Amino acid sequence: MKRALVIAVVLLASSPAVADSLAEHDYILNCSGCHRMDGSGSRIVPSLHAMRELMGTPGARQYWVRVPGAAQAPLSDARLAALMNWLVTRFTGKPPAPAYTPEEIATLRSAPLRDPIAHRDTLAPQNTSHLERLERTPR
Amino acid sequence: MSRLDRWFEGLARQSARRLSRRNWLSRFGGVLVGGATLPLLPVARAAEKNAVGEDGVRGREGDPTRCEYWRHCAIDGFLCSCCGGSHTACPPGTEMSPVTWIGTCRHPGDGKDYIISYNDCCGKTFCGRCMCNRNEGERPLYHWYRNNDLNWCGGALAQTYSCSTAVVVKTAKEAQPER
Repeated sequence: MKRALVIAVVLLASSPAVADSLAEHDYILNCSGCHRMDGSGSRIVPSLHAMRELMGTPGARQYWVRVPGAAQAPLSDARLAALMNWLVTRFTGKPPAPAYTPEEIATLRSAPLRDPIAHRDTLAPQNTSHLERLERTPR
Repeated sequence: MSRLDRWFEGLARQSARRLSRRNWLSRFGGVLVGGATLPLLPVARAAEKNAVGEDGVRGREGDPTRCEYWRHCAIDGFLCSCCGGSHTACPPGTEMSPVTWIGTCRHPGDGKDYIISYNDCCGKTFCGRCMCNRNEGERPLYHWYRNNDLNWCGGALAQTYSCSTAVVVKTAKEAQPER
């Protein structure tokens, strides 16, 4: 019995983790390809951990939904709202107050940003020295 | 050391006294033949179903060098398992791109959908072996982060595409495309 228990525990531990929620599933499929699983970004993609610096800044809440990756994600307004609530909580440590609603998402995503990095600079100064501008990146 | 020598000597002498050479040959032959027939037993075949693969996915793994392999359902490129790497590791001399495109594939073994990350390996000239272009669930280019016609080596230090891997990330909540 004990041995069976040990085997069961080993098998369970070795099976791949299940996405905890639909929001996490949507994050992995729609965001993590570029922002990566831990949100750290890369040479050409901003880190989602920088959201913490913007928390509470006027316009930040709207900016996060209007960036092209969020606004143009192939998700319904309700699923994007759930994803944004999950994402803000994960990367800033606090849930957005008030929580995003599908109606708010619908209004915000109807005006996606053309130059999100330039718009980000208007909200608060930031250090983007680690980022290469896309236009300078060799292809 | 001498104690170990003495022990082995004693063991060898003892077995030489007790067993004939033919006895040893027949037993060794029995082990060889018996070992070879083990996988034919139904017990061994049943155990295969519960074998756990590299990414912790249960079930028969299949052949990762073939395009039909279940994880390749949304791939577009050369299979790294034919290029000196594997379906989860880049060939030597190449770097795995940190940015990638991600899709879901159904595992025929357990009928579940898994999220698969198709990280490209970059830095050497294109591999040219085992081209695989299945694209299930892929989006058009205007959804560029869900499109696999891009050179995802854009996020790596070297921009040259070599081949693609297929790494299981997690179990999916639903198959794509989402509703």
